[in-house]
Amino acid sequence: MPSDPTGLLPAEALSAVTSIRSADIVIGIPSYNNARTIGHVVYAAHAGLSKYFPQFTGVIVNSDGGSRDETRDIVLSSRFPDAHVLMVSTPLKPVHRLSFPYHGIPGKGSAFRLIFQMAESLGAKACAVVDSDLRSITPEWIELLVRPVLHNGYDFVAPYYHRHKYDGTITNSIVYPLTRALYGQRVRQPIGGDFGVSRDLVARYLSRQDWETDVARYGIDIWMTTIAVAEGFRVCQSFLGAKLHDAKDPGADLSAMLHQVVGSVFALMQEYSGVWSTRSGSRDVDLFGFRYDVGLDPVEVNLDRMKTAFRNGCDQLHEIWAIALQPGTLAAVLQLGRAVPSQSPFHLEDPLWVRVIFEFACAIQRKPIERIHLLKSLTPLYLARVASFVEETRNMTASEVEQRIEELCLSFEEDKPYLAALWAGKPLPPLSPREPQPAPPGLEVSKS
Amino acid sequence: MIRTLQEVFNRAVENLYFQVTTYLPPLLVALFILLVAYALARSIRWLLLRAFKGLAADRFLEESGLSSLFARAGRLRAAALLAAFVYWTIFVIAALTALNVFDTKLTSQIVEGAVFLFPKLLAAGAILLAGFWLAHYFGHSVLLWACNEELPRPRLLASITRTVIVFVSVVVAADALNFARNVFLAAFIILTGAAALAAGLAFGLGGRRAFEHYLERRSHSAESEKSFFQHL
Repeated sequence: MPSDPTGLLPAEALSAVTSIRSADIVIGIPSYNNARTIGHVVYAAHAGLSKYFPQFTGVIVNSDGGSRDETRDIVLSSRFPDAHVLMVSTPLKPVHRLSFPYHGIPGKGSAFRLIFQMAESLGAKACAVVDSDLRSITPEWIELLVRPVLHNGYDFVAPYYHRHKYDGTITNSIVYPLTRALYGQRVRQPIGGDFGVSRDLVARYLSRQDWETDVARYGIDIWMTTIAVAEGFRVCQSFLGAKLHDAKDPGADLSAMLHQVVGSVFALMQEYSGVWSTRSGSRDVDLFGFRYDVGLDPVEVNLDRMKTAFRNGCDQLHEIWAIALQPGTLAAVLQLGRAVPSQSPFHLEDPLWVRVIFEFACAIQRKPIERIHLLKSLTPLYLARVASFVEETRNMTASEVEQRIEELCLSFEEDKPYLAALWAGKPLPPLSPREPQPAPPGLEVSKS
Repeated sequence: MIRTLQEVFNRAVENLYFQVTTYLPPLLVALFILLVAYALARSIRWLLLRAFKGLAADRFLEESGLSSLFARAGRLRAAALLAAFVYWTIFVIAALTALNVFDTKLTSQIVEGAVFLFPKLLAAGAILLAGFWLAHYFGHSVLLWACNEELPRPRLLASITRTVIVFVSVVVAADALNFARNVFLAAFIILTGAAALAAGLAFGLGGRRAFEHYLERRSHSAESEKSFFQHL
């Protein structure tokens, strides 16, 4: 019997639940003005359900943030020729397509909440969410995100993509190394955006009370991943190939994105301090899917602009940084800032970057009222790290870059006792750089 | 003649005697009270500084941002704040008690005035503290926004924000104290009007071009902006 355990479903959605009654798999697609790409995503989801899960009832739920274009019409009205998809067996159950506007704080998190509420109300065994701006999604993505949950007993399937070396730098420089060092699991794309989730984990997400925070916006991805790894749910990864998607809204604010994602990581650090403080090192997470090399969209970076932003940050924001950073760390950062115009190549060393992140995390725990300022003041430091990474990896291949990220992760793991001491207000060990890393070809690593 | 002089002299001596016998004992008592209060205030401050080190109140000061408002890198401690407050409270009470010893109309008026003023002073102090905290908070907000938006002179913008908020809080505090109410109100209206006019003229004459440049830079840099967001 269909029900609405959360009691929060809009009337339109509740009526759809009553009509469909139950489903095995729910595919969620959050959207906002994605008329150009959502048709392809819905087609891939539809084909994936028909082709790989013909014996299951599938529902595609589009949770829309009030699009002014034809996004919702496309989801509901498009007809897809099943004959074009090579079916192993004839679908026995229908695939329903629904589209609702979500309510509450505008953002991806609020869209996910409605999708999870629908999944729970329909009693779905597995739920997968995929972005609506994807150009590289195929029906196989649905299989790879759903099958580990449905047939292998996993609770959370994280994506694993091939990305350009300059793509996903918040992931590479902060979120992946920090999450891995904290919770001890190597989930390579913790904020990938496309996930598979089990019924138990959906229920756990919906039972939480922090949906109205940064989780409602860009913080949702790391929130989902952290809960899964910190609370002992079974986690795996699926290789999805390349992630090609529309460029993000140029009018959006980088600082807001950064502070919502990083702010969520730091907020969850407080909640799970009892978990991460007892874990050390890290272990691999199971990876499904056949790995292959793919062509990637080039990513352009503006090095000068990033370095100028850092230099300006040193001039303008040092008093805010002083609230968060220890004197030694602040001095090292400012010294680097003074060297910006002359120092070539520009290099922000791993140990210093690790300390910056750890000290910001602890400062935000100590000073919640100044949280938003501290998070926003991180932007120039993040841009400095990205500039340093870009210069350092300019001539590196993808595998060399991956090795470089691995070294950064090890720095985070090795310096975790410093984080634990600072967090607990104990005496701090001194800043001790790791063994010097070999300079990349054609570049000399400067000492600062 | 000599008799007159003698009478004047006697009167002067009597007056002096009267003055000395009337005012010296209270003066000595007042001095004694002040000395005792000073010793007491210092002792209590010393005790408080040691007894309340590492209080939960310290955490409140740090979490609320008040510590970084008064001292760089959060060196302000609740114990120091409390000790200073108690020290000066004892001292002011002692001074009022000492004044009361003289039992004159003037001293009674002073004491009465001080007692009457005390709640207003507290309210004004709270208004000023809130004003300084808001100025600090919004100053940081403007600084960060301007810096991340790559606007020119972020620190100047932040300083202007802070100054305006502090000025408004001073006006409100003066109003609470009923102190030069009209002067402050007039100053506030004149300065606000002048600032609005100056800002309008500056923007219209000089800033328009800079703002056009800024908008142009933003629209032209859409491509490089895109590269920033691709890092996510």
